Amino acid sequence: MNKEATKLDRASAAHPTNKKSRNGIYWLQMSPALIILLLMTIAPAIFLIRKSLTNDSLLNSTSNFVGLENYHSILTDASLLHSARVTAIFVVVVVLVEMVAGLFFAQFLYKKTRANSVAGALLIIPFAVAPAVSAMVFRELLNPNYGWVNYFMGLVGLPDTIDWLGNSNTAWIALIGLDVWQWTPFVTLILIAGMSSLPTEPLEAAAVDGANSWQTFRHISFRLLAPFIGIALVLRTIQAFKTFDSFLILTGGGPGDSTSPLNLEIYRVALQSFRVGYASAMAIILLILISILTPILLRILRRATQSEEV
Amino acid sequence: MPIIFMITTSLKDTEVARQMPPQWLFTPKFENYTKVLAGGEGFSQGFDSLLLNSIIVTLSSTILCLLVAFPAALALSKPKFRKREFLSSWILSTYMFPPIVAIIPIFIFAGQIQVLDTYAVLAIPYAAFNLPIVIWILKSSIEQIPAEIEEAARVDGANGWHYVSKILFPLTIPALATGAILSSILSWNDFLFALALTRSVAKTAPVGIQEFTGMYGTDWGSLSAASVTIIAPVLIISVLVRRRIVSGLTFGAVK
Repeated sequence: MNKEATKLDRASAAHPTNKKSRNGIYWLQMSPALIILLLMTIAPAIFLIRKSLTNDSLLNSTSNFVGLENYHSILTDASLLHSARVTAIFVVVVVLVEMVAGLFFAQFLYKKTRANSVAGALLIIPFAVAPAVSAMVFRELLNPNYGWVNYFMGLVGLPDTIDWLGNSNTAWIALIGLDVWQWTPFVTLILIAGMSSLPTEPLEAAAVDGANSWQTFRHISFRLLAPFIGIALVLRTIQAFKTFDSFLILTGGGPGDSTSPLNLEIYRVALQSFRVGYASAMAIILLILISILTPILLRILRRATQSEEV
Repeated sequence: MPIIFMITTSLKDTEVARQMPPQWLFTPKFENYTKVLAGGEGFSQGFDSLLLNSIIVTLSSTILCLLVAFPAALALSKPKFRKREFLSSWILSTYMFPPIVAIIPIFIFAGQIQVLDTYAVLAIPYAAFNLPIVIWILKSSIEQIPAEIEEAARVDGANGWHYVSKILFPLTIPALATGAILSSILSWNDFLFALALTRSVAKTAPVGIQEFTGMYGTDWGSLSAASVTIIAPVLIISVLVRRRIVSGLTFGAVK
């Protein structure tokens, strides 16, 4: 395929005008997509940078240039640091738990048997449930008075009067539990797809050489699966960063602001207090954090997809 | 388990639903569904109209997304296109752009031109945020078509338009279907944009269910019935085409 490409390239290089007009056509084909994407990413970013230097509010029409004052007060305010920490802890914990649990389940489910194809169908279910719905249902299940969770904990002799969402530790458990419930099966599906495409020879060779199951996993399956682990890791990290629904609906960031991540904080300041200037500065800080992370994630993704295609 | 809870509760009376231990044997009643869909006392609007909003927004954003993504994917799969590497990774990186950052400007701008609470103000951002995935799905499918096929078509005298419409397009229909399904699911399940940008006219179902917990406690039956109507279509489609969904969401990297 690459050989063909260079041949075609050479052919078109002989007709420079032709090549130029072709590139024009490509840009024309790209333009609707580029316009929409620029409008939804770069344009908002520019808008926010301008707004972040003002003390704009939707409640009064005066707009004053305040320079970097918003940034100064955000960066010296403990609450932003706190919500950045909430975001970071959430992303790290859920991604880690989901990857480990996903690897664990995939070990049992990758063989093509009838039971496993039923399991595969069941595994997609949590993905299909709208996060806004699953957060609502979790909230009801955790209700201290009539929720199922306390009832069943009582049945097996565990404390059954826990006010799950009223205490910051248990609220964290609930949030992480919801995300793990929703996304571990999907990670498992990615890894199962990866495992069923692996060559079986190395595993057989390891069995012949008398490797135990941990050694086989550590030195062979894990290595071969690395691209798929990379893909699942990148995908889940991105999604975990964007998580909003479960924070707003399940805990509302509470109790207090103990579970309030950056995006919920920005949402509140912008669309509930209408302090646009301040919220814009927060959004720009979030954007800077994400742009530091993006090239790293893209590199993992590119390496993963390329080594898988070879 | 949460799903069992949802389905059983949706078929119970309010009094039965609150009983502890849960009643496993009960006569299923579909009153919750009829009540929810028809609207009625306590709700600003019937859930049927919210579902209709969701359907309209989902379909229009998916159609827009595919119309825009297909030509872009065509250009990006051409080896002769000099900027393709750069543009492909830039498009991929926009997938990481946090929606909350786009919402503030959209909210203000849409307010100024008075299009808040319309279908378009939801459909266009949905299309934009699903574009990276859909473009990558289409691109990787087009790149898998062997170059010989295009050459053979040219030898037979097909021009560029003929090749795309008669040969390439039919070959990418599976990828278009994957893109359409994923884009629909993501738009249908979205909560954040709908919460921020709509009030009543264009409000979608995931925002609507929040109303079932109000001052007087939670109307469990209605909540569960409404939830089931939201997730049922997605659930059926996902189970049927789960391999395509996994492949699509991983940018075609997992086959």
